[in-house]
Amino acid sequence: MRLTRRAALASAVLATPALAQADQRPMLTVAVQKLSNSNTLETPREQSNVGFRLSPSYAEPLIGSDWQGDLSAVPGLATEWRRVDDRTVEFTLRDGVRFHDGRTMTAEDVVFSFTERLQGGPGHAVPPEIPAVAGRTFPGFERMEIVRPGVVRYVNRVPDVTLEGRLAQNIGVVLSQDAWGRSANWMEWARRPIGTGPYRVAEYRPDHSLVLEAHDDYWGGRPPARRIRFLEVAEVSSRVNGLFAGEFDFACDMPPDQVPVVERNARFEVLGAPINNIRLLAFDQTHPQLANPLVRRALSHAVDRQVIVETLWAGRTRIPKGLQLEYFNETFVTGWDVPAYDPAEARRLLRQANYRGEPIPYRLLNNYYTNQVANAQIMVEMWRAVGVNVVVEMKENFSQTVERGATRALHDWSSTSLFADPVSGLVRSLGPRGDMALAGEWQNAEFHALCGVLETSTDRAARRAAHRRMLEIAEREDPACMVLHQAANFTAKRRDIQWRAAKAWTMDFRASNLRFPA
Amino acid sequence: MLRFLTLRLVRAVLTIALVVTFAFVVLRLSGDPALLIMSVDAPPEAVAAFRKAWGLDEPLWQQYLSYFGAIASGDLGRSMRDGRDAIVLVGERIPATLALTVPALLIKLGLGIPAGVYAALHRNSWADRLVMFLAVAGFTVPSFVLGLLLVLVFAVQLGWLPSGGQDSWRHAVLPVITMGVGGAAVLARFTRSAMLEVLGQSYIRTASAKGVPWAQVVRGHALPNAAIPTVTIIGFMVGSLIAGAVVVESVFSWPGVGRLLVVAVANRDLAVVQCILLLVAATMVTANLVVDLLYGALDPRLRRGGSR
Repeated sequence: MRLTRRAALASAVLATPALAQADQRPMLTVAVQKLSNSNTLETPREQSNVGFRLSPSYAEPLIGSDWQGDLSAVPGLATEWRRVDDRTVEFTLRDGVRFHDGRTMTAEDVVFSFTERLQGGPGHAVPPEIPAVAGRTFPGFERMEIVRPGVVRYVNRVPDVTLEGRLAQNIGVVLSQDAWGRSANWMEWARRPIGTGPYRVAEYRPDHSLVLEAHDDYWGGRPPARRIRFLEVAEVSSRVNGLFAGEFDFACDMPPDQVPVVERNARFEVLGAPINNIRLLAFDQTHPQLANPLVRRALSHAVDRQVIVETLWAGRTRIPKGLQLEYFNETFVTGWDVPAYDPAEARRLLRQANYRGEPIPYRLLNNYYTNQVANAQIMVEMWRAVGVNVVVEMKENFSQTVERGATRALHDWSSTSLFADPVSGLVRSLGPRGDMALAGEWQNAEFHALCGVLETSTDRAARRAAHRRMLEIAEREDPACMVLHQAANFTAKRRDIQWRAAKAWTMDFRASNLRFPA
Repeated sequence: MLRFLTLRLVRAVLTIALVVTFAFVVLRLSGDPALLIMSVDAPPEAVAAFRKAWGLDEPLWQQYLSYFGAIASGDLGRSMRDGRDAIVLVGERIPATLALTVPALLIKLGLGIPAGVYAALHRNSWADRLVMFLAVAGFTVPSFVLGLLLVLVFAVQLGWLPSGGQDSWRHAVLPVITMGVGGAAVLARFTRSAMLEVLGQSYIRTASAKGVPWAQVVRGHALPNAAIPTVTIIGFMVGSLIAGAVVVESVFSWPGVGRLLVVAVANRDLAVVQCILLLVAATMVTANLVVDLLYGALDPRLRRGGSR
């Protein structure tokens, strides 16, 4: 058959709609309260709950996480990894992984992602907070080296048994070095990162919407949605209304009181579970009334956490076993629990501390955390019942709650364990370089010394013993904070779409976790 | 006239300077932008680096002088959250807001003034009572309640219109109605009161007694005299065109200046907040200036410097 130019043109024209028609995959619209706090999608800049939700869709680290399971490590961009020594992990890169720009991922891209991208370089100056954030996630980073094509080594300066956990965090995603070179400036790069995830960033309108399109060359299988549009809808009632009106397929960040409202409609359901975040109440040990640990212990014994979980959360979350999560596995301290609800013990401790009803300020935000105000009101009454005079002071933002001053005593807080080790939560929050120490709220020399054991020791028994002792100090002897409950994340969705919520902030829209009705 | 304009201009500049100073002091004393923008869990080193990069580690008075100096030279600063010039960020959002506020203003004028005039001309009739009932209802129902009610009816139940977003003209219908109804109610009440006051004046009785047709009395004597308080209210409405949709934009997820203001205040993104405040102040001052000039056109006694 002779192919004329006219015939070729005609067939091309005819093929265009045919191609468009061929892609029958549905489009999803997801309403979220917030898209990004920093107006960027670059993971070291957007280390937030909302950032953790989005990033796995467009960028991936070497080590993945079992989002639907126990969050344990699974092969990601690396198919396997092994310990070379206490300071070094060697990764075998997955073959044929394609970036969103069509390039094949190489070992050079991995090196770039841990060096120039996080530290800055001749290509682009990075904002000063990027190296600082990276430095905290990878405090001992020495180098990422190429062993041979397809094999790289992460080398730490000091021994660290948590390297694999650190490398599974989203700061360690691998992005395209080539795209970095093509970006006009850092902000342009940070708003359109070229990664390897199942969806690529098609359009990002800060404070409004993020459109992701299927990356059909994705190594984990063809994404089931042709396009996912995340829409920023600040008001929860607007998210629910949009869901009922059929404009949204998913509505995120549902407070527990909206769960029955949504589920009264048979077409929708709410999924969600406790996640890797523990809600806390922070104690300022420098406040005169809290200087005595007995008062802090009394505050903890006076609160009936189970009542709060059942009333405010309709039983949809749980009280963790102290300042730890089960997925810590071998470091998890069995038999440990939060201080028991015991009003008599609370009264006894207060008498022993010679507490006489002096006011204890409680700086409170208007529901920064889910159910925060109602939770606080219940606790204030429980404290009043045992004779503690807690006075609520409403604040507008988080910086006001931690600001130094005579009225800083109690404030709400949370701790996310980004990988399966107490270093990711306990040390990060309460350690010598942690938030509470730097804010001047709580310090304990023995606890801080034990942080060193957790961070650098490779003796697993010693680490477990150190962890147990740290829990004893931070929750019993010299309480830094009291555990309230595990945070839970609820997502309302169309019932006919098959999808499971992760036990983390992440939303997983890969083929393995998303199926549409036929 | 020149003296009048100069005085107004000086007052306007002073007003804007006060607004900017007030915003600077309140925002900077009530939260640390570094902590707010970098998020709660940001490592202290990152927060410190952010503060240094944006000059937040300098004494407050120094930051204020730098900021004021920059404004004087026409530089409204850069967004700490976005990295771009604040004026560019705000400028991008203005069309979206005007797409709501201008049609809403037309609804306010088109509904509120005729309804108020009609109610006044038919005082104590059932029509008057109906208009006033609707006006009081429209005036007292908060815009976020009205907005949600409209969404429930027209988006959720009937499915005629979208519940939020900014994808097409249909997305603007409910927010425009929400804003328009409230403003129309206010205008109707003011117009009715002003008309009733004028209709009770002796010159209206005189004109009627001289046999001037009632329609002509209303058109030639009542309406122009009743226009002054109404024009004042309209001036306020025009002045709030830029940032008068904060609540409605939040309810309907409309990415305009109002939403930007809410986010910028929450993050203490000073340059953006102050840029918006400057624009609002400038719009308000200009609207007031125009209203003052209109007073002169509407009432010749004011033009001659007399008092009313």
